[in-house]
Amino acid sequence: MSEVHTTIVETSAEADFDGIRAGFYALLARLLARPLDDEFLDHVSRLEGDDSALGLALTKVAGLAKAGSDDHFQDEYSRLFYGQGQGGELLPFSSYYLTGQLYDAPLAAVRDDMATLGIQPTGSVKEPEDHIAGLLDMMHGLITGRFDAGTVNLVGQQDFYDRHIGPWASDFFADLKKADSAEFYAAVAELGLAFTDIEAEAFRLAA
Amino acid sequence: MDHKDKSSKPEKRGRREFLTLAGISAAGVGALAAAGTAEAAESKQTDKGQGYQETAHVRTYYELAKY
Repeated sequence: MSEVHTTIVETSAEADFDGIRAGFYALLARLLARPLDDEFLDHVSRLEGDDSALGLALTKVAGLAKAGSDDHFQDEYSRLFYGQGQGGELLPFSSYYLTGQLYDAPLAAVRDDMATLGIQPTGSVKEPEDHIAGLLDMMHGLITGRFDAGTVNLVGQQDFYDRHIGPWASDFFADLKKADSAEFYAAVAELGLAFTDIEAEAFRLAA
Repeated sequence: MDHKDKSSKPEKRGRREFLTLAGISAAGVGALAAAGTAEAAESKQTDKGQGYQETAHVRTYYELAKY
């Protein structure tokens, strides 16, 4: 009897962690995928964190969102990621960070895993699939079971993370944090650093 | 895919304690957790019974604003 009870408690605790982890992946993916619109800005400005490093980073993002306008954030996003028709300050793609070239082997590796996991991009996305937002969103989908593979367990999540995100995400977030145009997105970068640090260590502890 | 079969294995205690201390807890980020869960539930529902090629299925990885 007591063993059954313990199992239920553990399962529910895992589900709670996974819901929150998935939420962070979704939040970071949406923040980095495209500029903020009114609705999302409203959502972000109402987020609250506790006094952990992660919670403080979340509160900082929310506070800046509350204080700014969507026009301002759209300009900042454009300068960072779009530029004046010739690219922004940053190229948030795994292929670029890992080989110095866009569309190189790391993108092919992402596409291979997407095929295996039943992840299919819609035609509306113009960027290659190894964009940081795409990869973070794929993690969200693996945790929540959004793709054909269903809910992918921790081993599968870690495998995907270690192959496509772990090797470069902290370099990217460090670059974003210190980018000339980054104000709001510097706080987003801090949130990304705090969260990916936690994920990397938590995967290590689970192994 | 074959990862799924192993998903019932309980998480190690060190990981749970670490995640709790690190702020991955409902108390720390309640709104976010609820948001993530709602999004997951919604996309699961949308997926049911639809062809894999349909846009509505994967709803894909840039359609996250709705959560």
